[in-house]
Amino acid sequence: MPNAELLPGTLDVLILKSVSLGKLHGYGVLLRIEQISGGALLVQQGALYQALARLEHRGLIQGEWGVSDNNRRAKFYSLTAAGRRTLGQEAASWKLLADAITLALSARPQEG
Amino acid sequence: MIAELIARIRSLWRGTLHTRRVNAELQEEFRHHMELRAADLERAGMSPAAAARKARAEFGSTDDHVENARNARGLRWFDEMRISWIDLKLGLRMIVKYPVLTIVGGISMAFAIWVGAGTFEAVRQLVFPSIPLSESDRIVVLQNWDASANRPELRATHDFVAWRSALRSVSDLGAYRTVTRNLEATAGFAEPVSTAEMTASVFRVLRVPPLLGRTLVEADERPEAPLVAVIGYDLWQSRFGGDSGVVGRTFRITGTPATIVGIMPKRFAFPRSQELWVPLRVDVSGGEPREGMAIGILGRLTPGATLEQAQTELANRGKIAASDFPRTHEHLRPQVFTYAKSVQLFEGPEESGVLLAGNVFVVMLLVLVCANVGLLMFARAATRETEIAVRAALGATRRRIVMQLFAEALVLGSIAAVVGLTAAGWGIRWGFDLMRGELTDGSGNFAFWMDGKLSPLTFLYTALLTVLAAAVAGVLPGILITRNLGERLKRATAGAGSTQLGGIWTAVIVLQLAVTMGFPVVTFFVRRDNVRMETQPLPFPVDHYLSARLEMEQFSPVRGADTGAAAFQLRYANAARKFEERLEGEAAVAGVVLAEYLPRQNHPNNQIEVDYGAVAPHDERGHLVASTHVDPKYLEVLGVSMLSGRWFYSSEARSDARVAVVNKAFVDRIMDGRNPIGRRVRYVRRSAPERQAWFEIVGVAPDMGTNSGWGPAGIYHPLVREVNTGAKGLSVDTAQVYPLNVAIHVRGDPQAFAPRLRAIATDVDVTLRLAEVMPLRDVVNARLAFKAFWVRMTTIVSAVVLMMSLVAIYAVMSFAVSRRTREIGVRVALGATPRRVVTAVFAQPLRQLGMGLLAGTVLVAYLVGMMRGEMPSAAQFLFLGGYTALVAAVCLVACVVPTRRALAVQPTEALRE
Repeated sequence: MPNAELLPGTLDVLILKSVSLGKLHGYGVLLRIEQISGGALLVQQGALYQALARLEHRGLIQGEWGVSDNNRRAKFYSLTAAGRRTLGQEAASWKLLADAITLALSARPQEG
Repeated sequence: MIAELIARIRSLWRGTLHTRRVNAELQEEFRHHMELRAADLERAGMSPAAAARKARAEFGSTDDHVENARNARGLRWFDEMRISWIDLKLGLRMIVKYPVLTIVGGISMAFAIWVGAGTFEAVRQLVFPSIPLSESDRIVVLQNWDASANRPELRATHDFVAWRSALRSVSDLGAYRTVTRNLEATAGFAEPVSTAEMTASVFRVLRVPPLLGRTLVEADERPEAPLVAVIGYDLWQSRFGGDSGVVGRTFRITGTPATIVGIMPKRFAFPRSQELWVPLRVDVSGGEPREGMAIGILGRLTPGATLEQAQTELANRGKIAASDFPRTHEHLRPQVFTYAKSVQLFEGPEESGVLLAGNVFVVMLLVLVCANVGLLMFARAATRETEIAVRAALGATRRRIVMQLFAEALVLGSIAAVVGLTAAGWGIRWGFDLMRGELTDGSGNFAFWMDGKLSPLTFLYTALLTVLAAAVAGVLPGILITRNLGERLKRATAGAGSTQLGGIWTAVIVLQLAVTMGFPVVTFFVRRDNVRMETQPLPFPVDHYLSARLEMEQFSPVRGADTGAAAFQLRYANAARKFEERLEGEAAVAGVVLAEYLPRQNHPNNQIEVDYGAVAPHDERGHLVASTHVDPKYLEVLGVSMLSGRWFYSSEARSDARVAVVNKAFVDRIMDGRNPIGRRVRYVRRSAPERQAWFEIVGVAPDMGTNSGWGPAGIYHPLVREVNTGAKGLSVDTAQVYPLNVAIHVRGDPQAFAPRLRAIATDVDVTLRLAEVMPLRDVVNARLAFKAFWVRMTTIVSAVVLMMSLVAIYAVMSFAVSRRTREIGVRVALGATPRRVVTAVFAQPLRQLGMGLLAGTVLVAYLVGMMRGEMPSAAQFLFLGGYTALVAAVCLVACVVPTRRALAVQPTEALRE
């Protein structure tokens, strides 16, 4: 499957979605996005941490330090209540947009 | 919404205050990320070293990511605003490198901070006193307010007894009153001491333990109990030599023996500046409602009770009293407030407003002075334009550069703040000392909460002032110097004259000049009046006179004596007469005279009208003049002769004598030099709108130190010495003056006669008190002293502002030239004459000077008009012109050096740059 470029502004909602499925550290978020997008979406590693900082700053996710699988100290992110609300709104509006674009792109020339 | 806001604040908080930790955590996260990635790559078959290398390469620069993450948190702004040690070190280096700017700017800022901190502290102590007593905000004063007369009703012994048993929200209710008592520590030598009569419970409210012995107890209040006294630390030191065995000793208080039972610690002077405490004996029944002595009532809020609860409870008691005693209590509204509020010197919002406005004015002065320092910093920054451009080229943002200049100003400001604060501590004590007359209650001692020290709040305020000063002096020039920095970088011609003095600097210079011209004018007028009063020679040998104020205690030690007002007047008149006679019999005394006010004392001012006869009234508004009643032998004892007309006959010492003598200043100022004899004057009283009686002017005396702070014009009236003991019996005579001042013409040193004077007073009557015994030459009008203080202040302000102006103008001039070195070189190379160069270079600064001088002249003309209440005379215009010329000359001198430098520029040199 070819890789798709991320649309601007979509990284935030993808991060929210991935941490909504369980607590994740930074690298885990990267893998989760790849996994849930079926490997179609690749995230720039630097952009990831900028987005995480932005979301944490806005109170949509919260980070706490724990121990990872390789027995190292790692920062795990989870969704906050505000983040869950934002994810719901973003997902709904994304679906609306995607449906509309899909519909528009699937239009055929009318006969007659 | 709120959760998001809290998250943002928390994030900013962590990001700004724990920068190092947050950055370290990010780095740790990145390392962890790269390790996991490398492990994945290894699993895919890479060698560990290659996997690690690839993981690092994929991830990119961790420093960049840290910065991006911080930017994402909105921390970029904070990071740029941060002042580093390097900035401060650079600031210190600048201070050493530019000593002139350091000295001039430092002195100016220190001066502004001195005035600012001093004013703030004075306002805090006068308007918002803090009482140094345990939990002083729970100490409350209870008072009846007479709603019909709109004043407090202090005769409240009846209510005190009722409240003491009824109130639940206030405990330990006590009563007190202040009196002055003659203390006879050594037999036959009595001196007045500020005393408080208090119930024992007041000591419980205050919670100050005695240094030695005990405080008052309830048993001391019983009428049959022997008189005991608690003395203050200073009194203990001064009258009893700090003897620790003084407890138990007996001395006399206004003739009555009293035993010392305790000594209070230093600075205890409740209720204000008292030094002696004796029991207050309040009748257990409280006496008749609204009768008896005037007392203050004090208590402490019971634990848990609030001021509002106490007010509600007290209001209910007030309603009960109003229904029980409708005749006396119908209009009385009991109130409760904190002790701090009850002693506020400036109670009304209007007066507090004036004081706060003073603070605002001071802050404006600070901004103005610092704007000047900013001008200097701007000129300095302009010479460092290359350095700034290089910094910008190396990636420093505009904000960073501005912050660096701010840091430099802050270093200068901090040094100035230390100097300013030190001076403020000293200035406060100086100012309080000069206002002693206004701030103390006659004893000459300050209230115990006014310590003249700087409070922590003032230090905090000074810190804020310093930041403000640094912001004005550093940030403004920084913003201007970094304007169009990008543009200039592109052209890569730093120092080519692109930095211009903007409109804001023109405004600063114009304002500066206007103020420079205005300040000394105010000083000049205040000083002129002051100097006239201070240096006015008295027409008699003032060095040979001793003066004192003659007071008497209302209370008489004779049991069962009539303590009414009329009886007191008679006692006072007789004692004064006897005292005068005794003094006249002394060999060392050449003459004695009693008067309401003595020369150079602070006279009250009264508004008067003059009956000009056929001449049209000069001024509809009337005049303010000083007035005093003096004994008919006043002139004779002082050895002064009349200028015209006659002095009073001794037969005119009657309350119905309608005669007056005016002084020369009165003739000059109010009569415009016309003969006043035969004209009539009368007093205008706002409180009594009906016409007052006319007094006929019978003579003109020389100026003998009558002054009210409004000028030396004065009126004399004969002093009434007899008490009316006519057919209707003793009655209060309103013509009586209390207290009288005595002037004694002494043969030899007047000061040496003082002990003898006190001994005579005690001998004549134990209730007679002498206050302010001092040679007449030392009598200083309190208001004059305050004016002198003000003159000194305005002189200093004027000097500093003038100095600042000079330096600022010099800076602008030299800056203008240094900016245009190249242009001057080109002009000279093209054959321009020196005159043309000067005209071209100084056109703008000279325009600013012109505008400033014009604005200053308008301001000065306005001030002159305001001071005199009329348009300036020809002489004043001349003065104004002369002064303007002086300021202009000063400005021109400031231009000379830069001008010479401009012309010395060699064309080749200029073109090479």
